[in-house]
Amino acid sequence: MKREDLIKKWLDNELNVQELEAFKQLEDYDDLVQLSNSVMQFKAPEYNTSEELNTALQHINSKQRSKNWLRPVLRIAAILALSFSVYYYTTTLDTNISTLAAQKTEIQLPDASQVLLNAASTLTYNKSDWETNRDVTLEGEAFFKVTKGSKFSVNTSTGTVTVLGTQFNIKQRNNYFEVICYEGSVKVTHNTNIVILKPGNSFLLIDGEIIAKEKETASNPSWINNESSFKSMPFAYVIREFERQYNVTINTQDIDLKQLFTGSFVHNDKELALKSITLPLNLNYSLQNNKAIVLSRE
Amino acid sequence: MNIDINDNICNENLFSTLFTKYSKSLHDFLYYKFGESFNPKDKVQDAFIKLWENCNTISPNKAKSYLFTVANNLMLNEAAHQKVVLKYQKEKPKTSTNETPEFILEGDEYMKKLQNAIANLTEAQRTAFLLNRIEGKKHREIAELLDISTKAVEKRIYGALKKLREDIEGI
Repeated sequence: MKREDLIKKWLDNELNVQELEAFKQLEDYDDLVQLSNSVMQFKAPEYNTSEELNTALQHINSKQRSKNWLRPVLRIAAILALSFSVYYYTTTLDTNISTLAAQKTEIQLPDASQVLLNAASTLTYNKSDWETNRDVTLEGEAFFKVTKGSKFSVNTSTGTVTVLGTQFNIKQRNNYFEVICYEGSVKVTHNTNIVILKPGNSFLLIDGEIIAKEKETASNPSWINNESSFKSMPFAYVIREFERQYNVTINTQDIDLKQLFTGSFVHNDKELALKSITLPLNLNYSLQNNKAIVLSRE
Repeated sequence: MNIDINDNICNENLFSTLFTKYSKSLHDFLYYKFGESFNPKDKVQDAFIKLWENCNTISPNKAKSYLFTVANNLMLNEAAHQKVVLKYQKEKPKTSTNETPEFILEGDEYMKKLQNAIANLTEAQRTAFLLNRIEGKKHREIAELLDISTKAVEKRIYGALKKLREDIEGI
């Protein structure tokens, strides 16, 4: 038998008696045995199977138990988190108040500031951080009576109006932006322009052009007393205001809409109001139905 | 396919049986392959716990290779290519008082050489060789553990022996 085979058999403890004798005759028998015996000293540390098994079983059982109570707790936590986020979401949502045409409303802000909202307008504000951030967004026209306190800002698509505590009216319609200050002082920011208004002053912007206006003498805007008044106002804006106040459409045909109108109309009597805006300009009006009015030259 | 309820590792009894059957071999395998620095006992625990966690998806006859694969991977994650140096016990199994100091010194030198030589074996060679020599496992048993052929085991063990002798004698 070859030396290599003998060694291999010896390694697998498969040597029979004669083979063992032959193996002992190998010249490196002593070396092999020494090596084999010495290797024994590299034995792995004692491994106590039953002890290790107990550790594993303990671990498994504690894990199961921890899973058992973890699940319901996780469920409760999930429900709490969900309801809290719903609560948080709904309470921090912006408050949004709108009026339709021919409608007015009065809004009390959290700090007792008052807002009168004219027809077809929208006011948006956030209740949750009102203390630190008195910010409202306006589309349309509104009259503000702001109580004293931190900075109060009204954002419109055309410009921002900032005050501390005063009374003022903002009208923002299409290409029309007007701020009138009735009390205190008002800062109007439009693009890079900053204008500070004193009581009676106004800021008027039509089609991007600033238009000078004479001093306002009334103590509040006429519309809150159910009357719209105009001074040298292009007729088109008068028509649009009328449409909003009575929720009608006005067909102006060949009338010159650029002519200036000075006067007023009431909000609670359509016939009278129509007369107020047509007679001064020598116009005729005819009511088609409840919703449509046609104006024509005399 | 019939599913026997006893065929489920999630049964604690079967789990214990598997543990008793394989944990020592797995531990020794890890020790001889990676040394003690990465705590083979813990890895055995981790592997069995992983087996328990996935007991629904592993059939008992796959359990052994699953355990070895998981434990091996756990080790590799930590041990990544570090040289393994096994420690030998300083006290010799049989101490005879009539040994000359020279002899003891020679013996110590021999052990150091052997330690180096073992460290220089490939992982595969070292694992098979030490399982065979120290744990007295037959080639067939090692082949079963490692999922390789008996021939391959024989080759690894003989290769290891050859390499050790060459290293020790400084050839």
